[in-house]
Amino acid sequence: MKFFRALFAAITAVGVIASVSGCSFVGGISRGETLRILSGSENEALSEILGECEKKTGVKIEMTYKGSVDIMQELKSGAPDYDAVWTASSLWISLGDEKHIVKHDESICTTPVIFGIRQSLAEQLGFTSGQVSVKDILSAIENEKLKFCMTSATQSNSGASAYIGFLYALLGKTSALTNDDLASPQLREQIKSLLSGVERSSGSSGWLEEMFLAGDYDAMVNYECLIIDANRKLVNSGREPLYAVYPYDGLSIADSPLGYLDHGDRKKEEAFKKVQEYLLSENVQTEIEATGRRISLNGVSAQNKAVFSKAWGIDTERILSPITMPAADVLSNALNLWQSSFRKPSLSVYCLDYSGSMKGEGNEQLVNAMKQVLVQKYAQENLLQAGEGDINIVVTFNNEVLNVYTAENSDEYSLNRLYDSVCEEQAGGGTDIYTAAKHAVNLINENYNPSDYTAAVILMTDGASAVENRETFENFYIERGCDIPIFSIMFGSAKSDQLDDIAQLTNARVFDGRKDLVGAFRSVKGYN
Amino acid sequence: MKPKIIGAAILAVTAAVAGMILIFTDKSQITALGGYLGGEKIGLFEDEEIAEYIKKTYHLTFDYSRAGSLDMVTADLSGRNYLFPSSQTALEYYNEVHGSAKADEIVFNTPIVLYSHKIVADALEKQGIVSQTDGVYYADMEKLTALILDEKQWSDIGLSQLYGSVCVDTTDPARSNSGNMFAALLANSLNGGKTVDESTISAVLPKLKEIFSRTGYMETSSSDLFNQFLRMGVGAKPIIAGYESQILEYAAENPTAYDKIKDDVVVIYPSPTVWSTHIFIALDDNGKSGIEALVDKEVQRLAWEKHGFRTGDYSSANGKILVSGIPENVTAVMNMPSYNVMKKIIDELS
Repeated sequence: MKFFRALFAAITAVGVIASVSGCSFVGGISRGETLRILSGSENEALSEILGECEKKTGVKIEMTYKGSVDIMQELKSGAPDYDAVWTASSLWISLGDEKHIVKHDESICTTPVIFGIRQSLAEQLGFTSGQVSVKDILSAIENEKLKFCMTSATQSNSGASAYIGFLYALLGKTSALTNDDLASPQLREQIKSLLSGVERSSGSSGWLEEMFLAGDYDAMVNYECLIIDANRKLVNSGREPLYAVYPYDGLSIADSPLGYLDHGDRKKEEAFKKVQEYLLSENVQTEIEATGRRISLNGVSAQNKAVFSKAWGIDTERILSPITMPAADVLSNALNLWQSSFRKPSLSVYCLDYSGSMKGEGNEQLVNAMKQVLVQKYAQENLLQAGEGDINIVVTFNNEVLNVYTAENSDEYSLNRLYDSVCEEQAGGGTDIYTAAKHAVNLINENYNPSDYTAAVILMTDGASAVENRETFENFYIERGCDIPIFSIMFGSAKSDQLDDIAQLTNARVFDGRKDLVGAFRSVKGYN
Repeated sequence: MKPKIIGAAILAVTAAVAGMILIFTDKSQITALGGYLGGEKIGLFEDEEIAEYIKKTYHLTFDYSRAGSLDMVTADLSGRNYLFPSSQTALEYYNEVHGSAKADEIVFNTPIVLYSHKIVADALEKQGIVSQTDGVYYADMEKLTALILDEKQWSDIGLSQLYGSVCVDTTDPARSNSGNMFAALLANSLNGGKTVDESTISAVLPKLKEIFSRTGYMETSSSDLFNQFLRMGVGAKPIIAGYESQILEYAAENPTAYDKIKDDVVVIYPSPTVWSTHIFIALDDNGKSGIEALVDKEVQRLAWEKHGFRTGDYSSANGKILVSGIPENVTAVMNMPSYNVMKKIIDELS
């Protein structure tokens, strides 16, 4: 009866999709409608075009940016708060649209996932002429000549695509990846070696570009369009641009589909169609192309030739043969392996605020937050689970450092013990985030080799700190010259000013743990 | 159309008790039919010209919900008047689940074709896998299948610009009709070009499974796959399987866009191919009236010219179309395997 199981699966999967009637709409009905679009962060670069779109169509557009994997999760739960989805690749819609609410999805533009490597370094590595393979890149990494930044494969399409591409290339596969392939000990060794070259990680491609520009790194794996965008900014500020490298054996292309989420509102559907039609109209397509996105198979239009600069290695004439994405179960296995074994281990120092001002609600929120990340049952639900070799350290503080608890082992027992310590600690006294942050950075530098880990300090506080040690901390951080980001998650009656300054100093970000705790953690862990 | 209305009026007088039929005779009364439709026919059902004509002439409108050809059979049929899948297999499945349909009729046909790009077609021609007759490309399916099964690389057939193994991208054969029919074609090719039956299928299944196990992730909608083919270029989708109607509809609806791709996109007819038969299954008397409207000559003409569906009266022999390389008649056609054999294929590939 396997046949009927299959049919049943197909039925529940393809299902009976939302009712559409054949009637057409009267123009103008959508005026004043608001279209809430759940979008990949790479589309932030199109905000001007979207602004113009609002004026021309009369449809108000509200963009919410998330990573591809989060978008997939949101679709799985029916995405009730959104009217449209605009993800980097149609793969995530297909995997997430279990409720079959996505309609009218069409690719708005395409862009390949590539390596952008500092021009002089790319030349030195011999990557500026001829064909480059993932294996060539791997040997540069193994010879310690190259480090790179990429997004987290369990959060973002560019990271997932690049990672899957690495797997294909290392296996020399030209047909679909299988679960047996993933079990190969040799692959495991090679992919860990390749990923040891990851210098910094990020939860999404747009943020990766921002982080890259704010720091001083050699290379990043990102969309061609964001490499182009980064290059414009690098050149404008007198810095060295990136050279585009297209590894032929592990490429993928993002097809940027924009689809309607059918919750049964005709007016929204009509508004959606207007917006989509506008974005696909010839003039607007050319404007989209001007941002470095590809719109046609027939090469670049005359007026945008300069955008795709050959001097940066951008090559629109080369035929791109992307890898075949594996079947859904293999992909999910591969992503879990990334999280649990293959990625570079993370070294996380959580600085937890136990000052008097956190008493009550703030402390409750903080303890609950730590439960989400330390208790593996909860962590797993959100792909935040600890992986092999991860180190978790808790530093509790008020106006001074109270205690340091370390779990060098990422097993469940050690992490539960760490959580127990968090629960038992009592709040009281003043607040000094600077002393705690300095202590955390010292812990990493003195006890570990930071380049063996993606290291981060995560400051969880209400941010109302005494400032007498601020300067000491800032000077210390700059003198140390270390690249350890200090993220903050805000609790209680938090104010972000002090935390924003720390984030800026350390090339990190501040998240609000009161609004969307899991989201905040996913974001932080995307970097770490 | 006049005789039909007179006929209906006579019927109405003689069967005045049947209130349902009265509705059809009342010209001010429009009957709205509801049912499930395969996604590849949405363009046709959304066509205002066709809708207007049917409304005027038959006092009918078609509302639809999109569903896969096999899925629609087991969907909630309450309040529905029709099913409009794209294969005979779906009708047989319906008959098995629900008993004989009230009425059924093959309304449109379209062959399964391969879509490819000029450089790929040229390379395949050099290998003797593809040949041209009267400007139409035909593929020797047995040779093509062997190439795929042997895991030949594109570079092996002179396409060093492409990276990877020779393959044909399809939709998921366990979920979508076009992929399902292409799997049947491959099975027939593996069976020496003869339609697989109960006695030959088991010998073919392991190789068929081998081919599909290498394809990885598959789309579930033929329109999504076709759009990706158009958008992502020869490196991403060197060859896909789809319906002939897709390129004809695309060219009719987007003549400017078609103009830009027409020198590159090549339609290749598997030789032999299989017909996708679009069977209208009436679930009740109202549904039956839908058949009459859809087989109307004018509807059939528009279905061909604007949406690329071949019908009894229209094909490229008489109706005008924009796409070149489309044969007047598709004669090299083989039968689809029986319903029981298709069940085995789906089972193996699920």
